[in-house]
Amino acid sequence: MPRLADMKLTPFLLFLAAITCANAAPLKINGSTTVNLPVAEAAEILRAERHLDIQVDTQGGSSGGISMLAEGSVQMGMSSKPVSAEDQEKYPQCRFHSIHIGEDAVALIVSKDVWDNGVRALTKAQLKDLYEGRVTNWQQLGGAHSQRIAFFNKEPGRGTWEVFVHWLYGSPKNAPQVSFPEVGGNEETRGKVATTRGAISQLSASWADGKSVFALALVGEDGVAVQPSAENIASHKYPLSRPLFVLTNGEPTGDAKVMADFLLSERGQSLVEKHGYLPLNALVK
Amino acid sequence: MAALLGVFAWQSAPVWTQEGLGYITGTKWFYRQHEFGALPLIYGSMMVSAVALVLAGPLGVGAAICIAEYLPSRARFAVKIPIELLAGIPSVVYGLLGALLLRDWVYKTFANFEPLSGDTLLTAGILLGIMLLPTIVTLTDDALRAVPAAQRRAGRALGLTQAEVIWHISLPQAQRGIGAAFLLALGRALGETVAVFLVVGRQDNMLPSNLFSLEPLLAAGQTLTSKLGGSEINIAYGDPLHWGAMMGLGLLLLSLTVGSALVGTLKRSGDA
Amino acid sequence: MRKAKDVFCAALTGTCLLTVLGIVGGLVFAILSRGWPALRLSFFTEQIRLVGAAGGIFWNLVGTGILLGTALLASAPIAVGLALLGRVYLRSERARRWLRVGLYTANGLPSIVFGLFGFIVFVKWCGWGKSWLAGGLVLAMCMLPTVTICLMERIAAVPARYIHAAAALGLSEAQIVWSVLLKQSWGGLVVGSLLGLARAAGETAPIMFTATIFAGATLPKGIVESPVLTLPYHIFTLAQDSFAPGVDAKLWGSALVLLGLVFSMSLAALPSRLLHHEEAHV
Repeated sequence: MPRLADMKLTPFLLFLAAITCANAAPLKINGSTTVNLPVAEAAEILRAERHLDIQVDTQGGSSGGISMLAEGSVQMGMSSKPVSAEDQEKYPQCRFHSIHIGEDAVALIVSKDVWDNGVRALTKAQLKDLYEGRVTNWQQLGGAHSQRIAFFNKEPGRGTWEVFVHWLYGSPKNAPQVSFPEVGGNEETRGKVATTRGAISQLSASWADGKSVFALALVGEDGVAVQPSAENIASHKYPLSRPLFVLTNGEPTGDAKVMADFLLSERGQSLVEKHGYLPLNALVK
Repeated sequence: MAALLGVFAWQSAPVWTQEGLGYITGTKWFYRQHEFGALPLIYGSMMVSAVALVLAGPLGVGAAICIAEYLPSRARFAVKIPIELLAGIPSVVYGLLGALLLRDWVYKTFANFEPLSGDTLLTAGILLGIMLLPTIVTLTDDALRAVPAAQRRAGRALGLTQAEVIWHISLPQAQRGIGAAFLLALGRALGETVAVFLVVGRQDNMLPSNLFSLEPLLAAGQTLTSKLGGSEINIAYGDPLHWGAMMGLGLLLLSLTVGSALVGTLKRSGDA
Repeated sequence: MRKAKDVFCAALTGTCLLTVLGIVGGLVFAILSRGWPALRLSFFTEQIRLVGAAGGIFWNLVGTGILLGTALLASAPIAVGLALLGRVYLRSERARRWLRVGLYTANGLPSIVFGLFGFIVFVKWCGWGKSWLAGGLVLAMCMLPTVTICLMERIAAVPARYIHAAAALGLSEAQIVWSVLLKQSWGGLVVGSLLGLARAAGETAPIMFTATIFAGATLPKGIVESPVLTLPYHIFTLAQDSFAPGVDAKLWGSALVLLGLVFSMSLAALPSRLLHHEEAHV
């Protein structure tokens, strides 16, 4: 009966908390699940070592981070896409300050049977056809035999989705009206693609493990297929590379500054790398 | 309750003034283009609930008949305990079971019908059906027990078999109560959020051309609640029309559930 | 022929019942077998580490405890008030009936509606942001009908002769209410609260916009912007976004703990309910 014990402990702990931690408000962070991984681990370290009070949440993905930062309900946002002019327009009062902490890429991942069917790369035009529902069979996209396409779209507000349509259509505003089954978090996406025949979705490249889900190469205008490999992301040869940010309203101060500095430090950057993203020093300047 | 209705009505006002009744009959929901049509969501909610009731209804009533008409009272207690427990399983746990086990099962079992994935209206319906069982069993059992035992004895004394007593005496008298059980269960089904959210696929604008076709059951869909529980709430806040449209869904959901719960309750208490 | 039908009917309904029981058993087994390996003492005493892949659920349990405690404290007095209103102070049968109907209807309202209401009123209008108090109050709204109904039924069961005796002894109405009605029926409040808490403990939809975040909250230090971690939201988040392979065991472990919590509260309420033949308005 852990709960009973807790109920009895609560007033006592509340009292303890009241006398020991009467100091500053916690640092609140919200946003992208992609950026969350290194940031949440950094928060764990800072909590243990520097006794900072940090709360991390991932409501609404990158847009959730941006809107909650602008409304002042968090002090730091996490975003897997750059703050756009539209965002700034929507929140004119907020002075977005973006801190680049690493680089990631949006990969188009497919299930094993699609990979085995011989689909290894797609062109921009093919992706447009797929997104707008003009093709529904992998055979139309280079598959050896007939196989239905099951496209899972990232839900609106996710940085991954915005990066994808930004590349495809220039801006989320220009993206055509489509309705597909929607997926949210990264694991949900990977799980659904891995267990569904003919599946494809957009997912952070670091999640494509090459065992259950496979990242497709993208064919550029010159006809060369570019893999979402570390080198190609670093050199931005892979077109869906994206920077990862933490955001503050104006220059970071106080605990937010501690967090930002930590993320840029060697240890922070090693966390970025640990979770499959490129640290800043790997980028080709 | 009035406060609830009031708040939702007031918050959703922008969408009613802007879109009028087209909001309910509209078939397209594209929030970036400020196009809000709630019909596919209402359809999704209705289909999911219908599947749940079709599955849980006969099973639940059958089980309740067994409990009320056949079992001795000691055995009844023993059986009612696990059913009570079933009622207590939190919806998020159902959602977890659905997302990790049921969707794969549906995907494999109905492979012949080529569902695009395991996230379908049917998956959500089955999951909801299990969740509704305790409601239906318990309320039907109550309704059957409210039928005076003397009538059953009289029936038996006239030479009716037990099955005939159930069919001609108990069930007709418990009809109102059973109807109420279905209505209350319907309210539950319409309002369930988290479990449905995890298995329904969340695909907007899935309105089939033929409303009574069974085909869409094996496609993904979106319900009023899965929309409300999703990330759009965070995006919508701050945009009066979009927020109004979301709250309009809340108002629709509230009216539907209040309606079914109210009628169900009146039916029940009229019986007692 | 009639005989055959009779047997068939018994067999059919019996099969239905066995199926239902089989479903219960299957579900509990599915969770138990997957969640059991995660249950160690450290799972209860450590905080989340590595985004759910390591550590335990200590603060989630504390947070759920805080929400339930708040909900209990907020709902109990109102439930007593409403129950007395329905049983004692409302004279007209019509009004009583409408109060009952209202309560039963409110019991059937979806919890997400309460959640959105809480989001609009507490989080936005009151400007609390995500707060344990908002969540506690929303959960209190969810459980209020159950508590009130249980209490009302128990008050109705107090024998009329007790009241007549008390009145004959010259007790005032307030005294009768306090020392006869409430004294005799406080068990209904306990049972109702247990049932309500069992429901509230597992709710996710009402608290996800109002009170709970995924990681980092410990003890609230005020009201504004003071979220807590909770067990149901932990499961909800990890079910969509388990970040690493180690999460699976922790996830099922959390589900098992939540189930245990809910079951123990419903079971605690059960004997007394069966004794009093209270209907399960679930």
